Amino acid sequence: MVLRIILNLIKEGPGLMRHPLRTKPLLAIAAIALILAATGAPARAGDTVVEIKLAEGHFEPQTLTVPAGQPLVIKVTNATAKTAEFESFRLNREKVVEPGQVIVVHVGPLSAGSYDFYDDFNQAVPQGSIVAR
Amino acid sequence: MRAAIAAAAVLVAAQLLPAAISNPPVTGDIGAPGGVGVALRAACYDCHSNLTRWPWYAQVAPLSWWIARDVEHGRRELNFSTWNTYYPVTRLRKLEWIGRSLAQPGMPPIWYRAMHPGARLTTAERAALSAWVAAQIAAAQSAR
Repeated sequence: MVLRIILNLIKEGPGLMRHPLRTKPLLAIAAIALILAATGAPARAGDTVVEIKLAEGHFEPQTLTVPAGQPLVIKVTNATAKTAEFESFRLNREKVVEPGQVIVVHVGPLSAGSYDFYDDFNQAVPQGSIVAR
Repeated sequence: MRAAIAAAAVLVAAQLLPAAISNPPVTGDIGAPGGVGVALRAACYDCHSNLTRWPWYAQVAPLSWWIARDVEHGRRELNFSTWNTYYPVTRLRKLEWIGRSLAQPGMPPIWYRAMHPGARLTTAERAALSAWVAAQIAAAQSAR
């Protein structure tokens, strides 16, 4: 869908911006970009989706087990009143989560092993781990 | 002409909204030695410490808003001036991220390097920093 709109835009060429009746595709792109920015790209079939909640002082759950070798989608909810940063060095991800916000983190297929994650802005929060088996 | 006057008026009005520019006290510096410390201070401390060298244009809105926001983000991610407040595990994580950043060309950011040519890390400086960080990581891991 997004690709088609982009291809259409390319076909339209530089005249697109000049024609007032052709601004709708731009608005659509802006809306899609905003939605993707707010929620992350949608999960695809075959992705494993897990949810993690940052509650006051801890992650729920603290340990998750996921299948190894499959793309992973992590939905992180910040249920606290403080800005948090979901971070994992081993997953090579860091993303700010404002209070009440849900973010989506996409991770490629994981090798078997344990992957720690933590709130980088609140170091007192015990780290959690994702175990890929 | 009217547009220019309007733009000037907006710029003048913007100066009434100053950015939060400050250098809080240094509570405990990381204390990197010799040339490593010099390179860190030159390339990293403006955004990742409380010893920011604010350029004159950091007093001019809207640039000041952008610079202040970047410094705030930088300090929040990693602050060498409050290194002593980090838990040992946090220090280890920060060192690991520093090591990873040094292995990539994106840090310091390109816009910052463009404004501060002296902040560009030479290959030798990058190598020295990487070696020092690796040693710190090894020490932190063995202490766990």
